Amino acid sequence: MAASIYVLVSLGLTLALSVVGIVQLAHGEVYMLGAYATYLFCEVLGLYYVVSLILAVFLMGILGVVLERVVFRPVRKFSSFWPTIMMATGLMLILQTVATAGFGGTNRVVTTPFPGVVSLLGATISLERLVIIGTCFVCVVAMIVALRSTRMGQAMMAVSQDMDGAALQGININRVAALTMFLGCALAALAGGLMGAIFNMSPSMGGPILMKGIAVIILGGLGSVPGVIIGSLILGFVDSIVPLVLNAQMASLVGFIVIVLVLLARPQGILGRAA
Amino acid sequence: MSATRAPRLAGCAVACVIPFLLPLAITGTYGLYVLTMVVISVLLAASLRVVFTSGQLSMGHGGVMAVGAYSSALLVTKLGLSSWASLAAGAAVAAFLGLIVGIPFVRLKGVYFSLATVFLGSIITLILVDWRSLTGGSMGISGIPRPESIHIPGFPVIDFTSNMAMYYLVLIVAAVSLVIMYLIEHSRIGLTFRSVSESESLAESVGVNTTRYRVLAFVIGSLFAGLAGALYGQFVSGFTPGGFGFIYSVYIMIYVAVGGQKSFLGPIVGGVIFTLVPEIARPLREYQPFVFAGVLMIVIFLLPDGLVSLPRVIMRAARHPRKSEATREEEPLRKVIDA
Repeated sequence: MAASIYVLVSLGLTLALSVVGIVQLAHGEVYMLGAYATYLFCEVLGLYYVVSLILAVFLMGILGVVLERVVFRPVRKFSSFWPTIMMATGLMLILQTVATAGFGGTNRVVTTPFPGVVSLLGATISLERLVIIGTCFVCVVAMIVALRSTRMGQAMMAVSQDMDGAALQGININRVAALTMFLGCALAALAGGLMGAIFNMSPSMGGPILMKGIAVIILGGLGSVPGVIIGSLILGFVDSIVPLVLNAQMASLVGFIVIVLVLLARPQGILGRAA
Repeated sequence: MSATRAPRLAGCAVACVIPFLLPLAITGTYGLYVLTMVVISVLLAASLRVVFTSGQLSMGHGGVMAVGAYSSALLVTKLGLSSWASLAAGAAVAAFLGLIVGIPFVRLKGVYFSLATVFLGSIITLILVDWRSLTGGSMGISGIPRPESIHIPGFPVIDFTSNMAMYYLVLIVAAVSLVIMYLIEHSRIGLTFRSVSESESLAESVGVNTTRYRVLAFVIGSLFAGLAGALYGQFVSGFTPGGFGFIYSVYIMIYVAVGGQKSFLGPIVGGVIFTLVPEIARPLREYQPFVFAGVLMIVIFLLPDGLVSLPRVIMRAARHPRKSEATREEEPLRKVIDA
């Protein structure tokens, strides 16, 4: 289940990075806001969980479009990625401060919409976790199909390979960038909304998930969608198995060592294109 | 050239003397604390800029500093090493960390290097929190002694338990480090760093081992960050791992970016401003990240070369009042056409 959340978060991160060169350091904050938006719709306005999740996902997607337009597009004119990373950093701090001021230090939780457990091939697994895995699977498949076979998906791939070349072919870079950010933020919000139903949410929940997302895209391969899936599976596996064998704290360290070893052997990540 | 250089040099000399004279005016404990923290921030920011000059945007500098602070503090409190030796050891351990982490990490280019360093910083804080038996967990380390006093025959004993003496110690170490960093930047090594940052393939084509120089820049930056961390530990005598987290790394990056990463003065200006302003605006402490981020975004947007370029931009604007940035770029060309 950890792996599926990592996939959802890292997909947006890697798309924003590889397609339009946006270093979305505020991705963890979007994830956090997605969880809070779900909470607001669900617990405060009293909507159904699924409805509020969808609303939250759309809301965050629109936020992504706005961010792209207001924050990232103005600095795209610089040839270096440095201004983008600075803008993303600023955005991260701002969103975090706003969330802390708005939601305060108390942890919130969405009452779980899928209670109960299921027995699957002899293993017992709670229904809500199964829902997360299923949702993630559907999203990833839909994403890959969309990237491969729709016109917009092809445009995104083209932009990721060569932005200027794509623009010369008549692809509207701004529209592709906005769509990419919409998808990325929507996926992050989806992950946040799903996790919010299992764990407590807090304004600082974005930081650790951002770190995981970064680890996944470095491990799996820079700008590769299958790489994200493999990287997430490896890290999710490490995070679930190591605590059983050693202790919970060692998991991140083991993950780190795995990444360093992979980088030594393959600097571009497991499935990345050579830079 | 020399006519414009002389006043500039004089200005530099005055600016260098001011920090040494400040304790004459500011003697209170709090004032000296703030001054010392300013100097430590400046040293940190300058050390990060060394990594920046080689074209690598490192975002885990807080973690590197923490390694210096922890290793030096642990050597004193657990092994009973002298504070002076541990100061050097803190810097050395941080530099060593820079070396072993730098070798796999510099294989990542551009933005992926930045992401890897973000990850590095977070892993370091995680280890510091979780390795309770050694690092004291989230409670951190306390009771780090100040450096032993110096006895030079014929001079009064210099006792570092006084904040004044500690301030001068930090200031002198930082000043020497800054001079070393300045010399490095203006040496062949610094030139090579710049060439690597401007075009890695071009530098490679003329025979520069770019990987080695990128690691070297990372190691030098880590060395001085470790030194700053060790000094910080001995100055405040106790710290927790939380203080060195990702946010702190980001703050150091903001010092450099807002000050101006292209100029040696940039991190100095940034470090001074961003350490002083939060102290002055204490009531707004809760919104500090918000303010920092806002300033960062505005500066990146309006002054990509940082605050140190402000005088130049103003002078230019004053000289050509109605011309926008774009037309100024075309000016030499227009002169050619007119002629």
